[in-house]
Amino acid sequence: MTVNSATRAVITAADFLKFRDYFHRKTGIHFDESKRYFVDKRLQDRIEATGATGFRDYFASLRFEASGIELQQLVNAMTVNETYFFREAFQFECLVNDLMDELAARAAGRRLRIWSVPSSTGEEPYSIAIYLLERWPGLKQHDVEILSSDIDTRVLESAQRGIYSRRSVSELPRAYLAKYFEQIDDDAWRISRDLVDAVEFSRVNLCDAADTRRLRDVDVIFCRNLLIYFDDVSRRIAADAMFDALVPGGFVCLGHSESMSRISPLFRMRRFADALVYQKPLQGEQQR
Amino acid sequence: MALKSASKNSGLREVAERAPDRSYAGLLQQLADADPARRRWAARDLAAHAAAAQPLVDRLLDEHDAGVVEAIFTSIETLASPAAVAALVPLLRSDDARLRNGAIEALASMPAATAPHVDRLLADADADVRLFAVNLLADLRHPQVPAWVEQVLRTEPEANVVAAAIEVLTEAGSTALLPALAAAQARFATDPFIGFAADVARSRIGSP
Repeated sequence: MTVNSATRAVITAADFLKFRDYFHRKTGIHFDESKRYFVDKRLQDRIEATGATGFRDYFASLRFEASGIELQQLVNAMTVNETYFFREAFQFECLVNDLMDELAARAAGRRLRIWSVPSSTGEEPYSIAIYLLERWPGLKQHDVEILSSDIDTRVLESAQRGIYSRRSVSELPRAYLAKYFEQIDDDAWRISRDLVDAVEFSRVNLCDAADTRRLRDVDVIFCRNLLIYFDDVSRRIAADAMFDALVPGGFVCLGHSESMSRISPLFRMRRFADALVYQKPLQGEQQR
Repeated sequence: MALKSASKNSGLREVAERAPDRSYAGLLQQLADADPARRRWAARDLAAHAAAAQPLVDRLLDEHDAGVVEAIFTSIETLASPAAVAALVPLLRSDDARLRNGAIEALASMPAATAPHVDRLLADADADVRLFAVNLLADLRHPQVPAWVEQVLRTEPEANVVAAAIEVLTEAGSTALLPALAAAQARFATDPFIGFAADVARSRIGSP
């Protein structure tokens, strides 16, 4: 069914500002004026889906709805959930250019440990593995473990099968594609077994202390574009889990629209040349 | 040196020192342990015990480790019970801004259990408590919030509490509250800040 644009709810400039401020405060996601069309369209979609009479009616129900279900629907509509190799690669650059050297200097020979959560279908942990193999000279002197977890066992199985579409590998440099993948048909590439074997996959619910208490001594956590889908309490539980899993001085990389400062005061922000990351204070450092 | 499989080094292993005595009584005891890591884990695990709200809040009053404080607030929010709200409300009178703000945030996260306390907080004899109650409204997802904001606009005697209510209105108000806004502006006609805040709110809300 198509919707005649003439019948769609009107979102005024004041409405947009009001919504933008509220959405930013609740989620940390900021939309500038250039995203007006994108935001308006999704707001109109949700206004129609909920049967609201217009923006004010919808915003009032969104703002005061105790369950938070509609806010979550809106977050889902306003964010694009897709994963592919080397997505938001600036954080992998930060990993190999700054984080690993700093961590290795403190590790005193200890094996370094990276945790990628959620693993989804494996693109992120395998991207980390490729970056370390190709771009971090320190791998000659240090051992690194890559752990990757997801709550969904189906995606974990898919990650371990390691078969990817053309779209999924489209951002990979051609040389890496040739080196670490085998093309098995027109739209399918199989990742090398060496990479699959280098990543330890496990089922973990980030909000379940019984699951997360098993993870410790982690040096870097990649937890990108997950917390935006959580409610406030779940976000705090997840932040607590990450804090306890990290070694002192360990790092958390969140998605570009996410902010740990909005969730937990326990981490400090570190700004590197390639990315902004969050760090668990070293022992003896003051927590905020 | 290379990428290593964690399973060959049993990377996902139980942390032995957290295993003993996870009973309610054991956790309460560990909540007062000298080691902040033990206190933090006790606080996290107490989220599974409905009776733990008051002991967790009691611990907050003596707790100086930021990590433990954070874990306690998270567990109280997880409990999200009338008992948790009842234990938190007195913190609005605390001189410690960290406890006060933590309590406001936690109360806002449990709207159903918090709502029955709002009328009493908005009528408190202490203007600071009324101000914190309005701050709470800013984040409270509850259908009664516009009515509470209107009540503050029409009856609250302190200008700074009214100013805080106008701030809530600016973000979340509808045109239905414009008459109450005008009434507040009239009551504080000599206060330039109230006039300025009311104009901003009016421009944000738009005309009917």
